[in-house]
Amino acid sequence: MTWLRLIRAEIRKLTTTKLPWGFFAVLVILAALDATVVMFGTDMDGSKTFISTAADQQSLVAFAFNAMLVTALFGTIAVAREYGHNTVVPMFLACPKRVRAELAQMAAVLLGGVALALIGQALIIGALAIALPSTEYGFLLSVGDITRLLAASALAGAIGAVLGAGLGAVIRNLGGAVTAAVLVLFILPPLAVQLVNEAASWIPATLFVVISGVSTEVSLWAALMATTVWALLPAAAGLVAVQRRDVV
Amino acid sequence: MHQLEIEHVTKRYGHEVVLDDLSFSVVSGRVTGFLGSNGAGKSTTMKILLDLASADSGHASIAGTRYRDLKDPARTVGVVLEPNAFHPGRSGRNHLRILADASGFASDRVDTMLEAVGLAHAAERHVGAYSLGMRQRLGIAAALLGDPPVLVLDEPGNGLDPQGIRWLRDLLRERASAGGTVFVSSHLLAEVEHLADEVVVLSNGQLVATGELAVLQKAGTAVKTLSPAPLTELLVAAGATVREGAEGELIVRGMPIAEIGERACTAGIALHELSPQAGSLEELFLDWTKGDAIPAVDQAIADATERKAESL
Repeated sequence: MTWLRLIRAEIRKLTTTKLPWGFFAVLVILAALDATVVMFGTDMDGSKTFISTAADQQSLVAFAFNAMLVTALFGTIAVAREYGHNTVVPMFLACPKRVRAELAQMAAVLLGGVALALIGQALIIGALAIALPSTEYGFLLSVGDITRLLAASALAGAIGAVLGAGLGAVIRNLGGAVTAAVLVLFILPPLAVQLVNEAASWIPATLFVVISGVSTEVSLWAALMATTVWALLPAAAGLVAVQRRDVV
Repeated sequence: MHQLEIEHVTKRYGHEVVLDDLSFSVVSGRVTGFLGSNGAGKSTTMKILLDLASADSGHASIAGTRYRDLKDPARTVGVVLEPNAFHPGRSGRNHLRILADASGFASDRVDTMLEAVGLAHAAERHVGAYSLGMRQRLGIAAALLGDPPVLVLDEPGNGLDPQGIRWLRDLLRERASAGGTVFVSSHLLAEVEHLADEVVVLSNGQLVATGELAVLQKAGTAVKTLSPAPLTELLVAAGATVREGAEGELIVRGMPIAEIGERACTAGIALHELSPQAGSLEELFLDWTKGDAIPAVDQAIADATERKAESL
């Protein structure tokens, strides 16, 4: 019961500010951009072969990696702002077992991340469906393709949100936490690939392409395990930090 | 009974000792004022009591139990800490609903408390648009949400209007009369004088006075003598606090009246008057905390004023 109470409180925290609406607006913009590309974009030869097959369309609308980026920022902001506004204090007063309180917060952020990722993926598939009639190609994605895309995005949303929540718990300053998230997601992976070529198979961009069914660079299970590690490391660091540090 | 116990608590931030082997108790059924200059360690003590900060040594408990081990903390302790913890974009009602959800309180309790603190009319407004007094009322509503027997309040009167202060005073007195434990820090000495039965006074992280306020206020002695300097030196060396009163008399605290007379007699200092003296809380507070470091800015102003005076 305690868990449910805490998670319910955390979900209410997320849904009673404008934060989710801000991210929803970002998703609408991304979907609109996708529709614009479908309607007006062409290949180098002026054709629209990039949407000519089911595989091409699946590759175009695969949102999982972008979902991870968006939800990582969502998770980072959702947790770090708790420290900025000191709203973490009543949370730890209501539940002085801090790891439990932090896990409840991560669970709520995870659910929020999954919801945002699913909405984002659905909007982009919808944008494709709306934009395709303006071209000579039809909507070629099967129910199986769509299910796989939605599942991959949901997982990416969960992974990104937990990763962000972990960073937000470690770095309590909002600006610092967002900067850290950008470093971890945008700077660290290409840097790792520069240093060790084999790392390219294990960065989120590659892993989520595999999970979305667009590539087979590593096995699906290996990709699932690796993405989980990407989330668990910062989450574990966040839990340790919350337990060991003074709250205020 | 929910007695609060602070036992040999020491807290350091880096090399700075914020609390130094601090020990005191806060009893049930009384309002205890917690006093000290800025930076004396009041907020840190409260945070350690509430397990929001850890002590380097010693421990703090509520009814013999650490805060983190309380079975139902939100129904046991109501808390207002500075600075207030609100998201400016969230409504007052939603702020309380989140706390009610987390602690398992019935949702109708939220409206009851909003009504009780006079915020029902502003319940849907964002907290960012609240005045300081309204935020303080919301914090008090949050503290009372679980109807707890213990209240730990850090500067709860900040920003309240006179009616609000009166309301708060009545509320806290009522809680204490019902057997509750009320531990309240404040800079408003006149307000504490009206409100508190007991006081705990910190100076530079150390306990300098604790006990029943009425007794402490009467624990001074007025001494008239033609040799104030040697008598002051003598009494201070023996551990008393001495300052000059408004009419040139010495106000002595921390030493029984009989001992003052005996020491003066032994030293051959003639006394012209030796009488009990009741002081205001402000006088007492200034006596207790006169060893506190002067803030850097104030010191700079004082130095500049002194230099100017010398140059004239």
